[in-house]
Amino acid sequence: MSIRSLCLCVAALTLFFARSSPSASSSQPVNHPKRIISLIPAVTEMVYAIGAGPQLVGVGSFDTYPSEVASLPRVGGLLDPDVERILALKPDLVIVYGTQNDLRLQLERAGINQFSYKHGSLAGVMETIRALGIRLGRAEGADRVATDLENRLSAIRGKVSGRVRPKTLLVFGRDALALRGIFASGGIGFIHDMLTTAGGDNVFTDVTRESVQATTELILQRAPEAIIEMRQSVKADEIAAERAVWSTLSSLPAVRTARIYILTDSSLPVPGPRVAQATESIAKTLHPEAFR
Amino acid sequence: MNTTGGTTFQGRRPDIRRRLIITMIAFGIPTVAAIVAAPLVGSTTIDLRRVLDRSVPISENVDAQIFFIARLPRTLAGALVGASLAAAGVVFQGLLRNPLATPFTLGISSGAALGAMLAITFDWTIGFAGLSAVPIASFAGSVGAVAIVYALSVARQRGLSTSVLLLAGVTLNAFFSALILFVQYFADFAETFRTLRWLMGDLDVSSFQPIVAALPLALGAFGLFATLPRALNLLSLGPDSAGTRGIDVTRAQRTAFFSASLATGAAVSVGGPIGFIGIIVPHLVRLLVGSDHRLVLPASALFGAAFLVACDTLARTVISPVELPVGVITALLGGPFFLWLLVRR
Amino acid sequence: MDSPGCALLSASDLSFAYGRVGRKIGPSTDTLHGVSITCAPGDLVGLLGPNGSGKTTLLRLLTGLLRPAAGRISIDGTPLSQLTRAALARRIAVVPQETHPAFDYSVLEMVLMGRYPHLGRFALEAPEDIAIARAALAATGTDGLEDRPFTTLSGGEKQRVVIASALAQLETDTNRGGARVQPCGSFLLLDEPTASLDLGYQIEVASVVRRLGDERGIGLVLSTHDLNLAAGLCRTLVVLKAGEVIASGPTADVLTPSLIRRLYGVDAEIAMHPRTGHLVVVPVGREAAP
Repeated sequence: MSIRSLCLCVAALTLFFARSSPSASSSQPVNHPKRIISLIPAVTEMVYAIGAGPQLVGVGSFDTYPSEVASLPRVGGLLDPDVERILALKPDLVIVYGTQNDLRLQLERAGINQFSYKHGSLAGVMETIRALGIRLGRAEGADRVATDLENRLSAIRGKVSGRVRPKTLLVFGRDALALRGIFASGGIGFIHDMLTTAGGDNVFTDVTRESVQATTELILQRAPEAIIEMRQSVKADEIAAERAVWSTLSSLPAVRTARIYILTDSSLPVPGPRVAQATESIAKTLHPEAFR
Repeated sequence: MNTTGGTTFQGRRPDIRRRLIITMIAFGIPTVAAIVAAPLVGSTTIDLRRVLDRSVPISENVDAQIFFIARLPRTLAGALVGASLAAAGVVFQGLLRNPLATPFTLGISSGAALGAMLAITFDWTIGFAGLSAVPIASFAGSVGAVAIVYALSVARQRGLSTSVLLLAGVTLNAFFSALILFVQYFADFAETFRTLRWLMGDLDVSSFQPIVAALPLALGAFGLFATLPRALNLLSLGPDSAGTRGIDVTRAQRTAFFSASLATGAAVSVGGPIGFIGIIVPHLVRLLVGSDHRLVLPASALFGAAFLVACDTLARTVISPVELPVGVITALLGGPFFLWLLVRR
Repeated sequence: MDSPGCALLSASDLSFAYGRVGRKIGPSTDTLHGVSITCAPGDLVGLLGPNGSGKTTLLRLLTGLLRPAAGRISIDGTPLSQLTRAALARRIAVVPQETHPAFDYSVLEMVLMGRYPHLGRFALEAPEDIAIARAALAATGTDGLEDRPFTTLSGGEKQRVVIASALAQLETDTNRGGARVQPCGSFLLLDEPTASLDLGYQIEVASVVRRLGDERGIGLVLSTHDLNLAAGLCRTLVVLKAGEVIASGPTADVLTPSLIRRLYGVDAEIAMHPRTGHLVVVPVGREAAP
């Protein structure tokens, strides 16, 4: 492995396993920004949701939602922000990820304000939306979005309350057509919170990290009663084959009761304003009867 | 690299036959012990009587499933990968006349990594013989790298130039790494993370199929390895010295290159590019048995199997329930060892 | 010179040009034209010539490492190309200028590698082979070094061990366990074997080489640009310049001041040394410009 990929690994690990708190810190609050760059897909969605979309002048390479981002310049991603392009766009606010230390230093030197963000809990999403609203001078709109999300989430909570909560394995990455390279939600983070809200008990509640590489042994031992996979790239005609892969682990209650679900909704792994929608689709998967 | 420590010990016993038998026994016993013991250990406690209890249907016997689906394939995968990488390391070191060569020096790992990256990023769903896209693509990537490096090394002259081989391999490694970064532009974060995780090695094969698919390749490679030790002894003196002692140098180099590449490709398709096995194991073995490839090659294969099975057992128990990538364990053990080798003289 | 029952290594009218690799060197260097050389058992043929005159190329041709473009090399009347590599290796061994093993072998292991052409594909050395290796060590005065790591030896010791390995390679043992047959019709090619050694080691190696020819009847071809080494050791000389033989014959006839002038552009005096009993060459100055 080259030094470079090792560095990438370290960066990825720090990011992935960072026990991040919903930190939405802003530097010195000044005039409301007019030219915003957002490098984080989730925050880009928030910016649009609170109505500040027109102020965006650049977005990250992985941004796909909402469709308006398609026409905006791309300025790199989490690991490879393109500082030159960022500076060339003359932003007055750049929304960066908390671990992008080099970028943050460069922006500081260039005297450009930043809004630093890290993935955290589900509650952190609403917190971030409100903080972002204040920062962008749209506190009211932001509060409306956040409150709406909170209401929808508590509605879901209400619908599933009192129902049997299945022990659930929530998978967000796996090799196609094999039980290899399985990454599942650990006991912290917004995905875990979404699952809990949606009426499922995470089989990895005790693992205090966001992501767990779920080995075969670990899955067999945890014996999930339901398995939900969030895999956007699986096409409709491949779902049956992908579900069938699990049949090897025939001792799993989820396999015996055929409670294996593959969700391809693109909103699922984004801790943005679509979390309520995502949580609802998990809840509908686990408790279809509650939504009839 | 000097292996004085072993030479004094071996000098007393010139009879190669006896040394071979003693070596095979001395390295075979720990290997068998590791392979037998490893499936009994894990983050979960399982009851061996229950594992073997036929009266319970397998679909209700969690202990048996953990043993037969999770641990046994994993242990065997570790043994196969460890043996292949360690033996391939020996062969590449002899072929390139460089004790610091590894199975990945010639670009095989970066070719495999590129293949895996493509398969993960574009979520290929090709399947073959019960294998998923990632092992197939990584094997194809390593074959591609091997083909390019070989074509370059024979392009300019009759025979095979090991210096071109080395330079082409190192250059290809850099080039493929650049391609990997390029492909990463199309990957989202989770895909990148899974690729990086794959690069650190993963033996959790969860079925026998990857092993069954890689086994013919590995066995073919080991069959060719069996013809090599004497040629490797002579090649390590230099190609002319080998040629004047009755070795068909080009053929021996070609056999060495392809068999070691085959073993490496097979290993990578099962467990990803697990580092350091191909260098720690041969060096440790040389410290113990001397430099004669007739001893080093089989002993390294055995020791490599035991070593990787042990590392993987450590990887899946040391911070259970989560586990460390096995490549992290081998690197944590291998890095300092390697540095010690460098300054030992 | 051709003794009955024994072999002759002979090359006639050899031509060779390096292929695409050597293209930059040009046709006049490292390329051979019409070169002939003969070596009989017990002979010690010196191959003289300046750097780039084709000495090493000729030796590589004689061992079959290279194939000549024209001409014919035979041993015992059989063309080299008709012998298997192992059969050829049992007849012709080579001592290179330097040997740097990539791994640390013991001295005995190094010598035993000479036995490989005698072993079946998967066979291991038998006690007979070890006996042969030890005898070869004794013949080169290195028998005390058997257990030493090769890389810890001095330059002269290394070269003698490599010669021992070559001797072990040439030793026939058709009647294993019985009395060994003296190698008859085997040849040892030495490529500047003393070039990287200092004086003491040069003498050490030279005396071993001299004994091989005298006592064992091995035919020796020794390339060197050390004129005094050639004068002291070799009975016949073949002198190469720019890939062609410019003189050959008995040492005393070939080694003349005019030859040295032609080869190196150096004026030299050549005299019989009273105590060593062979010619010595004393360079006296750079030749005046023509």
